[in-house]
Amino acid sequence: MAPSVAARAISVLEANWTGSHTLPATGLYPHQWSWDSAFIAIGLRRVSPRRAGQELDALLAGQWADGRIPQIIFDPHRDQDYSPGSQFWQSRTMPGSPDVVDTAGLVQPPNHAWAVWKVHAADPAESTRRSFLERTYPQLLAWHEYLRTRRDRGGRGLASIVHPWESGTDNSPLWDDALARVPGTPQHVFERPDLLHANASERPSDREYGRYFWLAERYRDHNCDDQDTEYPFLLEDPLFNSLYAISELALARIASELGRDPEPHVRRASELTVALGELFVESIGSYGARDVTSGQVVAKATINGVLPLLLPDLPTAETLIATLLGPRFLGSGAQLVPSYDATAADLEPELYWRGPAWFNMAWLAATALGVHGRQDAANELGQNLVRLADVNDFPEYVEPWIGSPHGTRRFSWTAALTLETLRHDGWGLFE
Amino acid sequence: MNLITVQEQHLPGDSLEKKFEVALEWGFDGIELRSKGDLHFASRLPELKRARDNGVVMPTTCVEMSHFIGAFDPDLRADAVAQLSSQLSVMAEIGGVGVMTPGSYGMFSKRLPPFEPPRSPEEDHRVLVDALGPLAEHAVSEGVELFLEPLNRYEDYLVNRLSDAADLIREIGSNGLRIVADTYHMNIEETDLASAFQDVAPFIGHVQASDSNRLEPGAGHIDWALFGATLQAIGYERSVAIESRLSGPAASVLPPVPQLLRRYL
Repeated sequence: MAPSVAARAISVLEANWTGSHTLPATGLYPHQWSWDSAFIAIGLRRVSPRRAGQELDALLAGQWADGRIPQIIFDPHRDQDYSPGSQFWQSRTMPGSPDVVDTAGLVQPPNHAWAVWKVHAADPAESTRRSFLERTYPQLLAWHEYLRTRRDRGGRGLASIVHPWESGTDNSPLWDDALARVPGTPQHVFERPDLLHANASERPSDREYGRYFWLAERYRDHNCDDQDTEYPFLLEDPLFNSLYAISELALARIASELGRDPEPHVRRASELTVALGELFVESIGSYGARDVTSGQVVAKATINGVLPLLLPDLPTAETLIATLLGPRFLGSGAQLVPSYDATAADLEPELYWRGPAWFNMAWLAATALGVHGRQDAANELGQNLVRLADVNDFPEYVEPWIGSPHGTRRFSWTAALTLETLRHDGWGLFE
Repeated sequence: MNLITVQEQHLPGDSLEKKFEVALEWGFDGIELRSKGDLHFASRLPELKRARDNGVVMPTTCVEMSHFIGAFDPDLRADAVAQLSSQLSVMAEIGGVGVMTPGSYGMFSKRLPPFEPPRSPEEDHRVLVDALGPLAEHAVSEGVELFLEPLNRYEDYLVNRLSDAADLIREIGSNGLRIVADTYHMNIEETDLASAFQDVAPFIGHVQASDSNRLEPGAGHIDWALFGATLQAIGYERSVAIESRLSGPAASVLPPVPQLLRRYL
């Protein structure tokens, strides 16, 4: 009998486990990535709540004195296998960086407090034995405080990302206009080890990579201090800020569990929800990203702009549901949610974040539908998620309409969220 | 769903039927037998058959002798083979799954003085293959299996890791020989409990669950969630036996064990 999809998902997570954390994929992504680890922990708790807690502990060990949780914690033995690596960042030369690990200077979307709560909830006795909430709560507070203070570059109460990599949706069309004013001429002569593991047509181009490196260099060379007033790439991403708000709601639960006051977190989540309102674009029935430099909201419908639907008290929820289930996304006949507007002229269904469907986004979208009482739509999406992961050996992403696999395979968050979808008890935020 | 069994010496009662009643009462599904040498196990055949007829579930037996198939003394080796051969036949007769044995136990440790065993690695290997090959064939002919148990480095030096046992199974090439994985020994010998199971998944024939300190599951620090998920992942559907030493009176410390393991299996 062939092993079940759950059995194979567990096997992927066990094979990609290093002893302290899970590699997103053993070839393409050889280090620990921030938001990957949180998504992985959410599924890994179904295998071992202890390992899921260790996954997040390992990530938090890379936290900077200013509170940031870095995008990547590097494995010193694999530095040649990914670019930019620790040699590029030289994090230990920067004030406030951890002195026990090498990290990137950038961050990724703040889904961590959410993951911490879910890991705790999977086995409260194990969590208590490990003092998991007590240890992580102050670290998560510092992380959110970093976002609230250092990253409110637009002064409107939302966190800005300073690099497309910080969105987790690297080459999303949301960043095109802002990226166009970034020089493509970095000092660093970059290599592309990623192309050894994935087809060039499924990865960002060299032209984009030139700009990515220029930005990363500029940010690095200002000691990652968030004080560079001429910095050309500051974007308020609706997904980043939605996960930030959900994580505030998770912090409220963690605070209650620890006997602290949950109210400041509930209030902060509300403030973020209100502030997000300014990114809503009526004409696309979803949220755009604000380019802080130009003051413009980018009016492109992306999965990032639909996922504020995760927020329980969202005034635009019905519009977002209509958009998600309409022709721009699932109503186009897609099996899994496309990352970009299916009606857009520049849609590229096989290119990374410019059209393909990703499993973390599908899981978030199903959760969001569940939050707003659309269980049938959530379940249908969940079934497609499991089926496409199953038949394609847990791919990094798929072409949304045909369902063909792209990027790397045996991708950890795909396996983790497949397992979570199979084992969860309803689509609620804090199940 | 995996059956969870407990070894017979932990159960009160003057018959297997009474022991089985207690096992069920404590939340177990069956009994793992202990099989002594001198053909004692064969002498229990009437008792075993009666228990079988009365519905006692007893899929496996764990050999309980002072010498084993890897003994330095050729006569003792020959006796171990004869005893196991008989025990395999007994298990076949009562409809069981198999009999387990280590290479040796308490005979020599390379971690303790004098450190160097009196036999070369080549001879060690030959002795094991010479014993296991015919026993595996006998097991096949009886429709049961022989389970080779890797023990930790302080109790045996011949077969310590699951991969050591898997190498022997591949070499012998018989379906009658499989691994019994004991989590206590694995905790000492293996790098990673999950990957150790995954790497030899097709060869796992039986599993014994003991905690990191050899006490009953829950009394040490083995990650039982990971254990359960991994058995599911490798498709292991046979019994999980409790051989452990106990941290307190059996009636107090054993009933929570099936409850704990069921959370994850």
